[in-house]
Amino acid sequence: MLKSITNNEALGIIFPNSYDGLVPELVTERLMASIPFASRYRLCDFLISGMARAGIDNISLIARENYQSLMDHLGSGREWDLARKKGGLNIIPPFAQKNVKVYNGRVEALESIKTFLVSQKEKYVVMADTNFAANIDFHALLDAHRKSGADITAVYRKQEIPDKFKKPLESSQDLYYSFDLDGNRVKQLFVNSRRDGEVNFSMNIYVIERELLIRLIDEAFVLGFTSFERDVIAPQIDMLDVQGYCFDGYVAYIHDMKSYFDENMKLLQEENLEGLFGPGQIYTKIRDDNPTRYIKGAKVSNIMAADGCVIEGEVENSILFRGVKVKKGAKVKNCVLMQDTVIGENACVEYVITDKNVMITEGKSLMGTDSFQVYVSKKQIV
Amino acid sequence: MAKEMVAMLLAGGQGSRLYALTQNLAKPAVPFGGKYRIIDFPLSNCVNSGIDTVGILTQYQPVVLNEYIGNGQPWDLDRLYGGVHVLPPYQKASGSDWFKGTANAIYQHISFIERYDPEYVIILSGDQICKQDYSDFLRFHKEKEAEFSVAVMEVPWDDASRFGLMVTDENDRITEFQEKPKNPKSNLASMGIYIFNWDILKKYLIEDEADPNSENDFGKNIIPNLLRDNRKMYAYHFDGYWKDVGTIGSLWEANMEVLDPENSGIDLFDEDWKIYSRNSGMTGHRIAPCAVVEDSMITDGCDVKGIVKHSILFAGATVEEGAVVEDAVVMGGTTIKTGAVVKHCIIAENVVVGENAIVGEIPAEGGIGNVAHVGSNVTIGANAKIGPKAMVYKDVKEGEEQC
Repeated sequence: MLKSITNNEALGIIFPNSYDGLVPELVTERLMASIPFASRYRLCDFLISGMARAGIDNISLIARENYQSLMDHLGSGREWDLARKKGGLNIIPPFAQKNVKVYNGRVEALESIKTFLVSQKEKYVVMADTNFAANIDFHALLDAHRKSGADITAVYRKQEIPDKFKKPLESSQDLYYSFDLDGNRVKQLFVNSRRDGEVNFSMNIYVIERELLIRLIDEAFVLGFTSFERDVIAPQIDMLDVQGYCFDGYVAYIHDMKSYFDENMKLLQEENLEGLFGPGQIYTKIRDDNPTRYIKGAKVSNIMAADGCVIEGEVENSILFRGVKVKKGAKVKNCVLMQDTVIGENACVEYVITDKNVMITEGKSLMGTDSFQVYVSKKQIV
Repeated sequence: MAKEMVAMLLAGGQGSRLYALTQNLAKPAVPFGGKYRIIDFPLSNCVNSGIDTVGILTQYQPVVLNEYIGNGQPWDLDRLYGGVHVLPPYQKASGSDWFKGTANAIYQHISFIERYDPEYVIILSGDQICKQDYSDFLRFHKEKEAEFSVAVMEVPWDDASRFGLMVTDENDRITEFQEKPKNPKSNLASMGIYIFNWDILKKYLIEDEADPNSENDFGKNIIPNLLRDNRKMYAYHFDGYWKDVGTIGSLWEANMEVLDPENSGIDLFDEDWKIYSRNSGMTGHRIAPCAVVEDSMITDGCDVKGIVKHSILFAGATVEEGAVVEDAVVMGGTTIKTGAVVKHCIIAENVVVGENAIVGEIPAEGGIGNVAHVGSNVTIGANAKIGPKAMVYKDVKEGEEQC
């Protein structure tokens, strides 16, 4: 950890609403960054913890809407060791003025915090979205950026473009990007490419010098541009030295309910769990739950469960978040049960995703299938 | 600005009857109940009772305890004015003293209490598992217009002679105090939890310190002196769960009682009286397809592939495939390797129990049985056998037997 002591050279900017439109069910009362994941975390925990561990202790989240759950989750930032006098964790809500207008795209978002950006001391800015969980070594990323001397370092992953993206994006205005590389240099940036097969798929994480960023955003904003990638990087790809940085670690992308379910389930496999959590600790909000209790008669197999659960029934192949109760005679199979879900006596659920505080009453039966999971929204009583 | 009541928590106990468990650890820092340490109970009781100023008197092996308490944030005791403070014996211009006795420990920190100018001081013990509302105790103290009150538990008459006993009149006024008497006149045992009016406590502490023959102990000196002077002393009846976990047997028993809150009365699942602790921050625990888990408590970070019955696994414990854990307390970071059998015992933190090793045994039906225990950071070699009476301080070689 010693190496991070002097590393105050980058500040973090996170866009917590990016790709909200992909999972409309999960974001009715929250945003992408605060979607619960992996039994006790929220998606933003992975990025924020990674940044904090690399000594990036000045992190701003520029929120667009539905950010109450994010504020509740992050609080003062203490759990990420980010309750700092200098920097720390800031949530920047839309500025309420007469004609409240939420930002479109990173250009407007960054323009809205320009005075903040100008007044900071850090040399670099690291920008990221929160539509995935990954354990990223930001220290190595910053090192690579410095060594290459690039104007911008863009993090990508070798993978196919998810089918969800290739379909026409009806509900989402969010764009996605992929690159062609020459060596490490990004030669061409594609917006919403339909290409099949493995591509260099952008993770939308960029490292850039703060002053260059301010200049680029200023120029783009006056021209009415919104997208940082489409309107700023792509047209200037020959003038700017944009270097690709391949992230080959474990990534769980959330781009629809199906992937939400699958990515949770994948963590039941040891190598995936190790891939996501092995590289370093992920911090999250503390709830002071008691340990999970398995009462006589409980039967469990292949599950991941957080603290605070009380299991009296049968649970198989499932992810249980904090404080889930499975009553006597209840059967839970292939489910993702979020915080404080209660499965009543003799109820039976299979291929079900329950949001927070859901109650499945006594004797009820709810079934989805492996290709379509039943989703029960927050606080519903079935 | 004065505080109404300040808590002083006696946490200097060596816990010598916990043997290998307190080798590098003060007794109040001993892990309990899956994710807690003993001291979490009095600290959480304080916060839940509205007490925000706590002095912790430490002495023996304070490092782990100091680190654990830190700034008190997990218990909401990081306050601008008040909060939690660790108070070791300290060096004065005229030399330094170890705490000579419980009363002397408080005496040495009179100046700490004075800073808050309290009306009342509550003296707590750092080696008991108990959920108690101290504000109710204070209400009693005020109603009786007492100068000193002590929390008491009714104990079976047969056991009474093991305790300090309060003999009271019909108004709960204390008329006599018997320290471990042969012929008990009462079955009201002192829990070692006292509320004093601060002016009275201070007067008696100073007087006691001036007495060269005193052992500077609350039970042996201060309480008898109060009685001698006919002070207004009352006994407050407490009937909740209370357990002194001073021995390996009682510590094991209390942990097992956590598994049965309906009958034992120690309910850690009570939302209205949470016990706070410093969290491990580990990911949710994993139970593999080949695992069997019955009647147990499992904490974040555990990885269970073997058989776990009627046991408590603390944060980050691993039970490998084919291992058996039964009636056992397995503390944080410990690994039970393939084929090992761990029964009726306490395994401390970061222990490795090697492949096919055997630790402890379940006593025969009706027998009381001994609880084996293994100290922290010990490695037990493959195929080793640790008998039910063993106290393991050091690494055990492969195949070695200890009983």
